[in-house]
Amino acid sequence: MEKAAMMQAAQDMVESFVDLPTIPQVATRVIELLDRPGVELDEVADMILADQVLAARVIKMVNSPLYKPAHEIKSVKRALIYLGFRHIRELAFTCSFVDVFEGRDGIFDIKSFWEHSFGVGVVAKIIAQRVRYPDSEKAYLVGIVHDIGEVFLSYYRQDAFRSLLDSVQGRPYRLVDKEAEFLGTSHSEVGLCIARKWNFPPDYCEVIALHHAPEEAVLDPTLCAIANLADLFCSVRQLDYGGSSWVTFNLAEEKAWGILKGYSPALADLDVERFCYELDDRVPEIQEMVKSIFQGIGA
Amino acid sequence: MALDLKPFDAKSAPKISDKDFEQLRDYIYNVCGIYFHSSKKYFLESRLARRMEMTGCKTHGDYYQYVRSAATGRTELSKLLDEITTNETCFFRNMPQLTALENKFLPEIVATKGKIGFKKLRIWSAGSSSGEEAYTMAMILLEKRATILKDWIIEIIGTDINETVLAQAKEGIYNSYSVRNTPDFYLKKYFKEEAAGRFVLSPEVKKLASFSQLNLYDDNKMLFMKSFDFIFCANVLIYFDTTSKSKVVQHFYNNLQPYGYFFVGQSESLHGVNDKFKTVHFPGGFTYNK
Repeated sequence: MEKAAMMQAAQDMVESFVDLPTIPQVATRVIELLDRPGVELDEVADMILADQVLAARVIKMVNSPLYKPAHEIKSVKRALIYLGFRHIRELAFTCSFVDVFEGRDGIFDIKSFWEHSFGVGVVAKIIAQRVRYPDSEKAYLVGIVHDIGEVFLSYYRQDAFRSLLDSVQGRPYRLVDKEAEFLGTSHSEVGLCIARKWNFPPDYCEVIALHHAPEEAVLDPTLCAIANLADLFCSVRQLDYGGSSWVTFNLAEEKAWGILKGYSPALADLDVERFCYELDDRVPEIQEMVKSIFQGIGA
Repeated sequence: MALDLKPFDAKSAPKISDKDFEQLRDYIYNVCGIYFHSSKKYFLESRLARRMEMTGCKTHGDYYQYVRSAATGRTELSKLLDEITTNETCFFRNMPQLTALENKFLPEIVATKGKIGFKKLRIWSAGSSSGEEAYTMAMILLEKRATILKDWIIEIIGTDINETVLAQAKEGIYNSYSVRNTPDFYLKKYFKEEAAGRFVLSPEVKKLASFSQLNLYDDNKMLFMKSFDFIFCANVLIYFDTTSKSKVVQHFYNNLQPYGYFFVGQSESLHGVNDKFKTVHFPGGFTYNK
């Protein structure tokens, strides 16, 4: 399908969405802080403390198995000291973002969306570190937001989405291709429209738009390739929207793999098998973390 | 492999620390190519307790040194692997693999071969043990007889070095432990429960697979195992040293059709063994192709 037509369809679709949530003010502020050099730790701390729900969530999350503190952390200040500035930024962003999709359980429920998104975030960060990409926190953050289009597409277009899933029973497919066929657009285009509405920085927008076509990226092909591979690995290691997608891939033929090997030739020696098995080991941690951010917070 | 259902008091097993677990897991992975998931920590702990008792090792650290020692290590490692993999053989053991085969790899190969009018499918279960893997494939393929495999010739070959297990495979009688993973549909259709816990495989399934003795180290015989579409070799290569493993895997590579797939066990890895095979990932696993 023509790319421009898919983009137009996405724009029309997003305009037609009733009650499209706005991004929380605090998340916008965190985004502003993301790329600004010379941000002070206090600025982030003040911002978190100003929002009780956010503060409670940060504490919940820092105590989840993913961050593994030796003792329970009970205050935002301790969390800041434990995580350091870069990590607190990623945590604050994640926590501020969680409410955006509340009640938007569509064909995919929000919990499985978050498990996939956190999974892609965590794996993107690991890949970024392996290839020595300079900003692994950014890789984590784009992983968290890469599929925002999916939430809205599966929520606002439930009937078409259900027919899509019915049509692929027992057959391998890539969701993004099937969406184009059934909806005239895909979660990449829809996600891009929403990211622009929410004033995401351009490189974040690019990942959202091109995480299934990293070879088309202009601003940061490496980042898009990292998100693409992380997405693929999560799709085959239990972080796959509760089994709703059914993907197979030959790593050697993936364009993202080529891009990243070009960026970091040592990647060719990666023990891919072990990488997958280690990812399996992290799945319960990721599920636990998703549980922890939704549990017991009166948001 | 023989079943070992001896009860074991897991409570008496000494607790393994995260550090000891990781150390041993890494060592087993590097030497044998099998990965111990964190979720198997307690299982490994209880199995280790038996081996520690047998070898007189007091701590996990002592045992780690013991398996690493040149004199006794390799033999001990094999015994540990026996403890760990003994009870694994059963029908429908690796579900993600079977799903991927049904959803993708089988239809793909049938389409490729069908195009050139070559309607024959050859499957090899290398290290077949008592035949569960080979017969699982037989049942799955029988179900496709009316559709994509209509008029196809199907050859399933199981090989093992051990004559006793091959005799069991040929007999086709299993206990309830072997069929514990078998979906009801297949259990009702292809097994007859003659007595409590005695499951007799239907002749229809048995007819599809043949079994013979083969030593995977035997280069001459390996050369004759030609043109397979699927090769399965689960939990066998883990017992081989690196040189033999590379040699055997090269044979598998040569014996596989250009579009064929080679499957290893659920937590196994061929990393560093053969750089020609490519990995193809599917939900819950991966396979190798040319």
